[in-house]
Amino acid sequence: MANGWSLLVGFVVVAIFCLVSWFAAPKGENRSVWRSTLILSASSCFLMWAITFLAQLHPLIQPIRSDLRADIVNNERLKMY
Amino acid sequence: MAAHRDTGIRSADMSLTQLYLANEIGREVVSALGELGVMAFRDLNSDVSAFQRTFTQEIRRLDNVERQLRYFQSQMEKASIPMRPLYEFSNTLAAPSASEIDELADRSQSLEQRIASLNDSYETLKKREIELTEWRHVLAKCGSFFDRARGHTEDIRHSTDDDDAPLLRDVEQHGQNGDASGDRAFSVMNIGFVAGVIPRERIAAFERILWRTLRGNLYMNQAEIEETIVNPETNEEVSKNVFVIFAHGKEIIAKIRKISESLGADLYSVDENSELRRDQIHEVNSRLGDLGNVLRNTKQTLDAELTQIGRSLAAWMIIVKKEKAVYQTLNRFSYDQARKTLIAEAWCPTESLPLIKSTLQDVNDRAGLSVPTIVNQIKTTKTPPTYNKTNKFTLGFQTIIDAYGTAKYQEVNPGLPTIVTFPFLFAVMFGDFGHGSIMTLAALAMIIFEKRLSRGKLDELFSMAFYGRYIMLMMGIFSIYTGLIYCDAFSKELTIFPSMWEWPADLQTGKSATAERVSGYTYPFGMDWRWHDTDNDLLFSNSYKMKLSILLGWAHMTYSLCLSFINARHFKTPIDIWGNFVPGMLFFQSIFGYLVFAIVYKWSVDWLGQGTNPPGLLNMLIYMFLSPGTIEEQLYPGQGVVQVLLLLIAVVCVPILLFLKPFYLRWEHNRARALGYRGIGENHRVSALDDDDEEGQTLNGNRESFADDDEGVAMITQDINEGGEHEEFEFSEIMIHQVIHTIEFCLNCVSHTASYLRLWALSLAHQQLSIVLWNMTLAIALKQTGAIGIVATVVLFYLWFALTVAVLCVMEGTSAMLHSLRLHWVEAMSKHFIGDGVPFEPFSFKLILEEEASDL
Repeated sequence: MANGWSLLVGFVVVAIFCLVSWFAAPKGENRSVWRSTLILSASSCFLMWAITFLAQLHPLIQPIRSDLRADIVNNERLKMY
Repeated sequence: MAAHRDTGIRSADMSLTQLYLANEIGREVVSALGELGVMAFRDLNSDVSAFQRTFTQEIRRLDNVERQLRYFQSQMEKASIPMRPLYEFSNTLAAPSASEIDELADRSQSLEQRIASLNDSYETLKKREIELTEWRHVLAKCGSFFDRARGHTEDIRHSTDDDDAPLLRDVEQHGQNGDASGDRAFSVMNIGFVAGVIPRERIAAFERILWRTLRGNLYMNQAEIEETIVNPETNEEVSKNVFVIFAHGKEIIAKIRKISESLGADLYSVDENSELRRDQIHEVNSRLGDLGNVLRNTKQTLDAELTQIGRSLAAWMIIVKKEKAVYQTLNRFSYDQARKTLIAEAWCPTESLPLIKSTLQDVNDRAGLSVPTIVNQIKTTKTPPTYNKTNKFTLGFQTIIDAYGTAKYQEVNPGLPTIVTFPFLFAVMFGDFGHGSIMTLAALAMIIFEKRLSRGKLDELFSMAFYGRYIMLMMGIFSIYTGLIYCDAFSKELTIFPSMWEWPADLQTGKSATAERVSGYTYPFGMDWRWHDTDNDLLFSNSYKMKLSILLGWAHMTYSLCLSFINARHFKTPIDIWGNFVPGMLFFQSIFGYLVFAIVYKWSVDWLGQGTNPPGLLNMLIYMFLSPGTIEEQLYPGQGVVQVLLLLIAVVCVPILLFLKPFYLRWEHNRARALGYRGIGENHRVSALDDDDEEGQTLNGNRESFADDDEGVAMITQDINEGGEHEEFEFSEIMIHQVIHTIEFCLNCVSHTASYLRLWALSLAHQQLSIVLWNMTLAIALKQTGAIGIVATVVLFYLWFALTVAVLCVMEGTSAMLHSLRLHWVEAMSKHFIGDGVPFEPFSFKLILEEEASDL
């Protein structure tokens, strides 16, 4: 399951994707547009995911809710297992 | 090929070229180059006024043709005849030959005359028709007046004897027995009359004036014409009245005539004899019928003529516009001494040179000329124009950058990373899966129906959205992604993966419950959906989004700062690396890079598991400056030393940033002086000291005398760098510039980082707004049951959807876009953008026609 190592795995996956897009970008006058767009997109998306993942890795607060109905929550729990 | 690899990263390599073309094919060559659209011709006759140029005559002639074509267009609009749209022509781009242009000019000349004469005769006929119609009305109405008036002859007679008697006394009484004296003619009693038509709004004034001037010596009758009468000159509808005035004596009648004519009445002759009047009516009716036939025929001929013209008018207009542009360009060329060769200078992308050469060769071959067109590349110190090649995908993004400023020639083009960063930062603020999908679908629709949409006329707002359709597509896609990360779809959660939180087993309805973490498991993608609708949702998401903004801002600014390094490398100014980039980067990283490190480090430590209190990062940063070295809440061991070290680095960087570059430049300048070097521009100025600016002008003016020699012309071209681009070295100026730069940079590091917090603020506002909208509309409907529930759901769904599109997608989207724009223009581009370039404006038929496309 997902834990701290996922960050590293994600990074490797994105790095590989960036390398592939660098070399596989279609040749021609739009090559740098392809490269820059693909690599920047991948890194921005990775950054955002990694930040969100990190923020929840060791959360300091827990969700608190007071409008829950016991029967519904228990029902859901039964369905899950 | 270095030039090829750089495409897109920086503006295209430009060369200044010189063309020598034979006079005979000048027009054809320019027109072929206009189709290519890759050359920006310099004006070689800038000291010659527009009227004295070589081809003014031709331009005037074409102006005239253009005027005639516009006249046809206005006539067609008046007759509401459709014009064949431009895109139905298959080969609009074929260059016309000179004889075709002449033919077109002659043809439009004769057509104009024909249309004008047809129009004239149509208007005259129309006028005549109106007159006849009015006359008919007068005749019809007068009949009843006369019949009635005959009965009152006695009264009229009587009233002329007795001035005090009111004119219209007992009109009704005598009305019935008026027939008795019917056959008596007015002329016997010396009573004359005036009949005519007058606009209705003037009737009151008309009556009053008549009454006053004639002191009541008249008998007036009037009736309204039911139908309105159209004035053929102005096309306005006027309602008019028929009037008949009876009065006594020739002078008075003449006076009445004068008054009525001065008030805009039209007078018509009416016979008092009823038989004759009947004949007149018959005659008028038959003439009206004839006139109607003629009018219809004229109108038909005119319409047929205009329809014929409308079939090819759009193409003619394009031909004339192209031809005009060609001559305007030819006016920028200069002649050689014998006036046999045209000389042109133009900037063009270096990589298009082969294309230009082959095009010129083609034109030459077609004309069958033995003299080839010579293309000469000139070395110059003049700054070439900035030309960033775009396609329909990158065009919108490049426009965003160009709206801020034109990049310096060959500096890193910020338009390239903007393709991703602009929509991404937008999406951070706009993040919602549902809203992002709506935007993506809208953009996709515009892209799929691109051809059809670009043909039709669009209103201003929609055409703006259409222009930025690819920006919208990227924004939509990234919004879907950030929506998934935020776990928001129309403000509802997306339960893709199992949550990392579980509600406790001993849950009691009505009591607040705290979720427990599933041990060792972190929600793998985006925010955990369990946070939705919790009491402390905002507490968590605010902390997360604030840090997200700082981290993304730091990444964006670091990236932008690195572009300044690439610029310095490219322009071979290492001092910009050591004097600006390195100290700036160190300063920024030692403060905000450290903050980013602290944020990430704090996240990576399991504070609750360790049982220690997590330190506040804001206080840490503040005390790092206020009391360096002392740590109240420890983040990691050795923190105090590291922070003092970083602070020292930051402080040391400021004087380096301030002094290194100006003093290095001064040292370099002094060394060059000591060795005896001088700038080329300086030398030139020294030699021509007596009249430095005049010199350039005279050389320019006398260029023809040098022109027989290739090198001579090339030399001249080099010298006409208007104003001289080499600047005198001025240490104080550079120092002031650097002081401003340093202060700005250091302060901006703080303010720009804070500025990225808008990402947090706007995404929070967007999310909360969509929650409120949901609660106010659909949430209410879903609580209802039965028939009311069905109706309420349907009605409120439409309300909710309309408001989602209008408020959340359009309005919020615009606001997020403007904020993203600001982040690019101010926060990112201030880090590297030099931007003192000249935009490349090629001579291109396509561009010229696009500017006027909205007219066609």
